[in-house]
Amino acid sequence: MTAALAITKLQLRIIRNDPWFLLIMFLMPLVVMPLFVKTLGLGLVASGFESASGAEVVVPGQVVLFGFFVGGSVGFALYREHGWKTWDRLRASAAPSRSLLAGFAVPWTVIHVAYQLILFLAGGLALGLRFNGGSPFALVLVAVGYGACIVALVLLVSASFRTINQVNAFQNVGAMALGGLGGALVPLEQLPGWAQAIAPVTPQYWAMRGFRGVFLESASIVDVLPSAAVLFGTAAVLSLLAARRFRADETKEFFA
Amino acid sequence: MLRATDLTKAYGEVQALNGADLSVAPGQVVSLLGRNGAGKTTMLSIIAGLLRPDAGSVELGGIDALAKPEAAAKLLGIAPQDTGIYTVLTVRQNLEFFGELSGMDRATRSARAVEVADRLGLGPLLDRKGGQLSGGETRRLHTACALVHAPRLLMLDEPTVGADVTTRLQIIEAVRDLAADGAAVVYTTHYLPEVVSLEADLVIIDNGQVLATGTQPELIEQHRISGVQFEAAGELPDSLTSGQGLEVTRQGPDRWQVLGDIDMAQLLEYFGDGTARLRSVESLQPDLETVFLAVTGNRIDDESLDEEAAATDIEEGARA
Repeated sequence: MTAALAITKLQLRIIRNDPWFLLIMFLMPLVVMPLFVKTLGLGLVASGFESASGAEVVVPGQVVLFGFFVGGSVGFALYREHGWKTWDRLRASAAPSRSLLAGFAVPWTVIHVAYQLILFLAGGLALGLRFNGGSPFALVLVAVGYGACIVALVLLVSASFRTINQVNAFQNVGAMALGGLGGALVPLEQLPGWAQAIAPVTPQYWAMRGFRGVFLESASIVDVLPSAAVLFGTAAVLSLLAARRFRADETKEFFA
Repeated sequence: MLRATDLTKAYGEVQALNGADLSVAPGQVVSLLGRNGAGKTTMLSIIAGLLRPDAGSVELGGIDALAKPEAAAKLLGIAPQDTGIYTVLTVRQNLEFFGELSGMDRATRSARAVEVADRLGLGPLLDRKGGQLSGGETRRLHTACALVHAPRLLMLDEPTVGADVTTRLQIIEAVRDLAADGAAVVYTTHYLPEVVSLEADLVIIDNGQVLATGTQPELIEQHRISGVQFEAAGELPDSLTSGQGLEVTRQGPDRWQVLGDIDMAQLLEYFGDGTARLRSVESLQPDLETVFLAVTGNRIDDESLDEEAAATDIEEGARA
């Protein structure tokens, strides 16, 4: 636990010393969100949500889309240790592999969840996103589930791949393809039938379903439990797989 | 403090270590000498718990390090060959992190960071980011990170590669101080003057096997060679080149080495009337280089020495 805690604090300190990536990840969706509000708002009205502004799907969509990059940064952080040649120094502490992994997973899950919540807050301030009777606790529950799920997914990918380029490629394709399929780019009901059919295999689908429930359908904690259960369950399975697959003594290649 | 016994490790068909032993007592500095690929880094990696040996045992402060790596790790500090620091963190943050990783409380690691930084000449740079340090300062921070939790066994793998003179001296001084405080130190290097300066005991390793161990005077005495080196114009006297028990080697256009039962006066006799052709003569002095040569049959990485010297020259030039 000592090593996990030390590495957790290290990750947070590194971000504090070099916050530019996160700042850009905050600014990007704030620029993109207003571009889609009106169009997607019309779609929601046409779907029967007469008082919807569009922010109810645009903000969660951008949170889910860009959140994948933020949560996925755990892979970059892990590989960066190899690039900085500090990985062996961490290993020399003799911390078990699972402690090392936890030292990366925990802070990046926390950062991912905080990122989502701050973006929702910004969406409220900038685009008038309101709960409309939905539960803030339900929002937090889904955000934590999504945060844990994405971090676990990218940890599994990072444990399985050998180079940072492979991890980056997965992140880029994963964010767009899984996000698109999950309804983060356009609302699910506007996707083709085949996409709607396979959407539930993506964590993004369950996150979007939970978030939309909170903002469009006044969902309570109980209402979002199915989404949260899938997200937490998937996170648990992916974490176990990542822990099984992860080998601390495996060589990873950062940028040459 | 450290007793590594019969360490064996193969990478596929390459036998990196083949029954190698290494023992270091508290307060002792042991220099692990060997060519590139001799097995030095593999040995240190096994002792540090970074690699599992195929066979052998490692006992660290009475702890079976292979069975209880976490307990052993608290006694051990290692600065691997490649410089590894957090460039976005300050010197202080780097040092405190490695202290925290070893389980030190906040007050202790904070005080220790200052102490170690001062010891390695990094005191004025405590709040400078790692990425803003010079090459030598980075190397010192890299070493300091291994010292911060006051390890009882310190392992430095070529800590002065590419380092400037100041850095070399500060690292050597720090190692001396640590040993004086009772720490056991394993120090690998290609740079023999550092070994002399540290008055380190030697372990010479080649092809994964320990070939010789002992103090410097002991090994120099055991592998004493006699002979002369000289510079002479023209051909050598036939009597010299065919002299019984003499081994004549050309070392340059006009430079020669004769190994065997010969001294300077005898060399002059061989030249007879031609002594005017001799430009310089010196007796061969046994030193670590000759010991290494005698034990392994090889010089110790001439290429590395040249690169190292070149890197030092460049850095010193840049600073000037």
